[in-house]
Amino acid sequence: MAKVLDDKKKGHGHGHEGEHPAAPMVEEVSDFEILEMAVRELAIEKGLFSAEDHRRWTEYVHSLGPLPAARLVAKAWLDPEFKKMAVNDGVKASLKVGVDWIKSPPTQFGTPSDYCNLRVLEDTPKLKHVVVCTLCSCYPRPILGQSPEWYRTPAYRRRLVRWPRQVLSEFGLQLPADVEIRVADSNQKTRYMVLPVRPAGTEGWTEDQLAEIVTRDCMIGVAVPKPGVTSNVKLPVHRAIHPIEHHHS
Amino acid sequence: MSKPHHDRTHHAKKATNVGDPQCFKGQAGPAKFKAGDTVRIRDLPDFFYTRCQTYTRGMVGTVTLAVYESPAAEDEAWDNTDKPEWFYSVKFRQKDLWPDYPAAFANDTLETEFSERWLEKA
Amino acid sequence: MTNDPAHIDLLEAIRDRGRPWQELAAQYGVKNPDPPWKVTLDATCDILAAESCAAEGRVEDPVLPALERRAEEDDLSSTLYAGVPFPECQLLALAHSLIQRGLFDEQELAKRMEQVHERLTSA
Repeated sequence: MAKVLDDKKKGHGHGHEGEHPAAPMVEEVSDFEILEMAVRELAIEKGLFSAEDHRRWTEYVHSLGPLPAARLVAKAWLDPEFKKMAVNDGVKASLKVGVDWIKSPPTQFGTPSDYCNLRVLEDTPKLKHVVVCTLCSCYPRPILGQSPEWYRTPAYRRRLVRWPRQVLSEFGLQLPADVEIRVADSNQKTRYMVLPVRPAGTEGWTEDQLAEIVTRDCMIGVAVPKPGVTSNVKLPVHRAIHPIEHHHS
Repeated sequence: MSKPHHDRTHHAKKATNVGDPQCFKGQAGPAKFKAGDTVRIRDLPDFFYTRCQTYTRGMVGTVTLAVYESPAAEDEAWDNTDKPEWFYSVKFRQKDLWPDYPAAFANDTLETEFSERWLEKA
Repeated sequence: MTNDPAHIDLLEAIRDRGRPWQELAAQYGVKNPDPPWKVTLDATCDILAAESCAAEGRVEDPVLPALERRAEEDDLSSTLYAGVPFPECQLLALAHSLIQRGLFDEQELAKRMEQVHERLTSA
């Protein structure tokens, strides 16, 4: 049996380097860091993929974040024609914010988990969308970045389809009973993002100002944009008591 | 799970710079359903792999959109990509899906996608 | 090492003694919510789910398709690796899935971990 590694030895640090030389860094090497590297190196040695391909994928994944999606929403708020186009053709609209679902990934035909069919779901005062993937946590990564942890949990995935209003209230969002809450379950090749209603108090704002209040949570649908709110809320999701059945295979 | 080993260079060549599911456009033939149709989700037997959620089986909903053409997920997992189908987005009323969904929220809905084999006219 | 296919001693030892990022970041006052290896882990998961071009131009089946990997990750994160935070549980589940598929074995992984440890901690 392998010796459990002493993880208190000094290793290279990890933290925000570059801007502030005095920024705190993690001064030790954890077993997990070692495990990740070992798995990757073994996989390369076994020919599962090449180091070069892995570098390209790492660069691609590293480039992904929620800003392009926020800009898409801001543009849609400012330009009704763009909004119409975005709702009809999410992939074409993505190009306008610098996201190419087809050609940017290393495969040049989309990634094996994201595909190339973004649908932008337009909220109205009477219709609120919220997105989930009950089967495995598919997410519109190319335009929205990596999914948050809570989105990937069986608790969120099983409870949102069944008890959407309870789950939304746990995120601090409560909607009148006559508003239609529509859960979009991305079980196939389509990936969804929500285009929320533009809030009051943003008249005359620039695209940048508008984009700033469109957080990742707003585009998943568990939050709505508000002037002055520019960050996601960190909330726990409760465990499912009677989880719905679903089969992986 | 052992899989038949088919030649997959075909897919990569067709899809490069075109996208997936874009690369299957025009291959499924005429769409059987259209927006507004009422459909029921068939409870087909699953052999190992499906993307049709259990909670939708036997349920009745409305087609909102014919979204794209693609091999059905159940075939694609086994490399059978010869016969793409139309995929549809179908909307259900939550109160139809869940017996104890609160009556106060009668407007709530759920939308998800199915390949054509999973749908029948209702 | 046990013969029970479900348990992998090496990974359970890491589960028990490894320090997750949330602990390390808190201890050292680092604000980044994710460990630096998260991006490379995600790239590994992506690349294993993709078709790859083998030398003769034939396209190979994915080593570990996304739906299968996620299903195993969900199962393992609620059983053997329950209580391990994310993304450490994703990492343990990935290693577990690859060992179970026979892509490498526990001894090879242990040996490689020792080598990596040496490399990272030598002066």
